[in-house]
Amino acid sequence: MMGYHVSVALSGIWREKWINILCALSIAVGLFLLAIASLGVYNIEMATSRLPEKFSMTVYLKDGLSADEVQGITEEINKSPEVKSVQYTSKDDALKELKTIMRNSDYILEGLDDNPLPASMTVALKEASVTDISVKKLAENIEDLKGVSEVEYGRRLLEVIESVRKNTQLIGGFLIGALAAAVIFICYSTVKILFYRKMNEVETLKLLGSTRWFIRAPFLIEGGLIGLAGGLLSAAAVVGVVYAGYRRFEASLPMIGSLSLPPEVLYWLPATGLCLGIIGSFIAIGRIRF
Amino acid sequence: MENSDHIMIAFEGVSKSYGHNPALRDVSFSMGKGELCFLTGPSGAGKSTLLKLIYLAERPDEGIITLNGVEMNTVRESRIPWIRRKIGIVFQDFKLLPRTVFDNVALTLRIRGMHEADIRPIVHDTLKLVNLRHKADSLPTALSGGEQQRVVIARAIVGEPSVLLADEPTGNLDPDTAAGIMRVFREINARGTTILVATHNTELLKSTGNFIFRLDGGRLKEELYA
Repeated sequence: MMGYHVSVALSGIWREKWINILCALSIAVGLFLLAIASLGVYNIEMATSRLPEKFSMTVYLKDGLSADEVQGITEEINKSPEVKSVQYTSKDDALKELKTIMRNSDYILEGLDDNPLPASMTVALKEASVTDISVKKLAENIEDLKGVSEVEYGRRLLEVIESVRKNTQLIGGFLIGALAAAVIFICYSTVKILFYRKMNEVETLKLLGSTRWFIRAPFLIEGGLIGLAGGLLSAAAVVGVVYAGYRRFEASLPMIGSLSLPPEVLYWLPATGLCLGIIGSFIAIGRIRF
Repeated sequence: MENSDHIMIAFEGVSKSYGHNPALRDVSFSMGKGELCFLTGPSGAGKSTLLKLIYLAERPDEGIITLNGVEMNTVRESRIPWIRRKIGIVFQDFKLLPRTVFDNVALTLRIRGMHEADIRPIVHDTLKLVNLRHKADSLPTALSGGEQQRVVIARAIVGEPSVLLADEPTGNLDPDTAAGIMRVFREINARGTTILVATHNTELLKSTGNFIFRLDGGRLKEELYA
């Protein structure tokens, strides 16, 4: 029986080929924009999630702390669940490091009687826990510890990253939702038109004793196939545009090389087209009354 | 026709209006199993409405309709497809789909979920009965009016319905073709199918010996033998 429905759907597609081609192209454009929006969100998410891996904070200590006090601060900081590791740098080590960095202009440091650099701790954070709120709270807690003079971290950078992330998710989510609704609407309106054009045929089927599913099945297959075709076209377009973009802009925009195209897109887009096509058709046919 | 076990179609005080226009008024009649009867009357007398009430395309405003013992007034919507499968309908406007003659006739069996392998011989036998075996692969648009009418008859009878309803089956056909269509009906009737033919063609009824219901203005005016 499925073979019969598929053959009716295929002949229906062929009979109304122009409207179906236009519909498949509209879906392809919709899904292409959907995919580009998703890829944008995905890449921004990837880029912003990579930055905090290198994120750390520096805790400057007051002068004259004993080894036990330093040990106590280290243990206290390590207690925080956000902290991955704590690395202590003594005043002497800090000076040595500075001298290494400025070895070609070490005359600047000549004449210094005392070491002016403070002892410090470099606190590495766990990637998952790096949010502007959690880091800010942690910095405040560390600043309150006895023996700590100042805590430095990329507060502004973190705020910008968080803001970009949140806005991307919000705008991306809205855009993806709107485009998905547009694709459903395209399928809905196309199948509605096809359904109206076949109203006489549907009436005849009813009078001959067809069940609702016998009437619906070819329309659902037709909508699904149109959606699938749109999905395949959009997948081809996304792959084409992304690789053409790589080749065209790789030299002038090196950051383009770090953009990634998940291979799942190749089956995710046709599958989405198929599902949205079926959903749109189902809504378009509505309840069949005898 | 008195014994209810032998009654195929029964109307009891059935009325139907479209808005303020009454199409049928207080119609009562019954038709026995295996009978071939005619429903006659001028255009607008209510013949098509009466048939539509039988195949549930319309519901009565008043009265009771029974088909093979089943009271149609109380039938749930979900049961309608199964009731219609017991009724063969020859539509006045043919209602042929833009598919081949074979596919049009096979549709009745496909709707019933029959396997393709079983469908082919049955459809070919039915097309043979209406003399259209050679036109199986033609599209309805390539056929004459009489041939299209015979395709509709083939589609109506291929599922071996208990009842065959024909709405003006000889309208716009020449007398020879009309007589040919009637011969087909008699053959089908001889196999035990109950047939009700709505027609305004009184020539067709002359000396047939069949029972006639004459409608006028939505009322049943006469019941007589031709």
